[in-house]
Amino acid sequence: MTMKALPGNLAAVKWGAWSLVCLYISLVSGVLVALHYDPAAAYYSTAAMDLLVPFGEYFRSLHFYSSQLFFLLTIVHLVVAYRSSDSYTTAQWGRLIVTLPVVLLLLFTGYILRADSTGASAGAIAEAILLDIPLLGPAINSAFFSITEHGMQRVYVTHIITFDLLWLALAWEHLRRYRIRITDYLPTAGLVLLFSVFVAAPIDPEKLGVSYISGPWFFLGLQELLRYLPPLVAGFIFPALFVFALFLARKHHRFFKSMLIFLVIWLLLYLILSVLALLH
Amino acid sequence: MRRPASKSRRILVTRRIFLGIGIVSLLYPLYRFIGFRLPRKPQRIEVAKQILPGQFRLFPNFILFARKDRVWAVSRKCTHLGCTLHYVEKDDLLECPCHQSRFSSDGRLLNGPAKAPLNTYPVEKRQDPPYYVVTL
Repeated sequence: MTMKALPGNLAAVKWGAWSLVCLYISLVSGVLVALHYDPAAAYYSTAAMDLLVPFGEYFRSLHFYSSQLFFLLTIVHLVVAYRSSDSYTTAQWGRLIVTLPVVLLLLFTGYILRADSTGASAGAIAEAILLDIPLLGPAINSAFFSITEHGMQRVYVTHIITFDLLWLALAWEHLRRYRIRITDYLPTAGLVLLFSVFVAAPIDPEKLGVSYISGPWFFLGLQELLRYLPPLVAGFIFPALFVFALFLARKHHRFFKSMLIFLVIWLLLYLILSVLALLH
Repeated sequence: MRRPASKSRRILVTRRIFLGIGIVSLLYPLYRFIGFRLPRKPQRIEVAKQILPGQFRLFPNFILFARKDRVWAVSRKCTHLGCTLHYVEKDDLLECPCHQSRFSSDGRLLNGPAKAPLNTYPVEKRQDPPYYVVTL
């Protein structure tokens, strides 16, 4: 198979539509999970959902895996549909690129809300990174996290309202252009619904004698980098550089090739850091 | 009748200035509203059981140590990025599960990436229950 034929075959799969189906499932299951979630007793209510609430474990798993799949399929969709993105204006492209960190932060706040050992550590680290950003950092932390002051209350609002609205506002034009009918994608929806029957969503209770807690899988590289660099550089500037390079990586841009090389190096570096984090 | 170009530009600039002032005057109350913190009451934790010398008690936010005739409370919040520290009893030290910073049981920094020692809290020792009151 030639390199030219590969994107053509992959493009035949409707990755964007599949990711949208996962988003729909994530939203519906998210509403259900929120009915039993209590930000004032975050870990207790999450554990109770798995152990006591009828089908609670299933709906939490459905919410977890449909959200993860939404993100992963969005990435595949971006890579496959990259060639046809030339028609977008700079503003349209910029808005779509910003949806990626927003989705990632939605996943991330989901991890924090579990308030298990992974979630609690992820929340503490996020707050420390934001507070290290000069001038606007404390205000951003107050608006979206503020775990030390308000527990899970603001993270909960961020997860179920603020970032969803922000994502919708950014992707609105894109969604209006490419509409789907969920009835055309019933096998995809069925697979996600079935997968969650057999695989439970993770939860990490606090255990004595645990010497290493790894964050969410997409956060591993960043967690490792925070070991060597200050929070502002490792937690904000480093990921922001990737998003900015992605925004500039357009065919008509004069630094197009340099940006592509930068993105590949960044991803390789992140992969190495993630592997290093797993080796601890 | 069409306005001259310079007049149109002047109107546009004036509009933009008003818009800018409007946005800034909206942002300020928003900034103050979001950033407001209710003053926190000092938290007093009462410990009903006595801790024998050489023992310790683990709490969500601190660890209470007792050695000979001394009792002290040390924070479990890592000074690097705020993760909750674990107590490694065999080495008598606190270790961060996120980046493995280490602290002695009295809060001194042993190795990084953390750069500052741990907070300690005042402990009031009593003869009757509650035997210890820790103020956070």
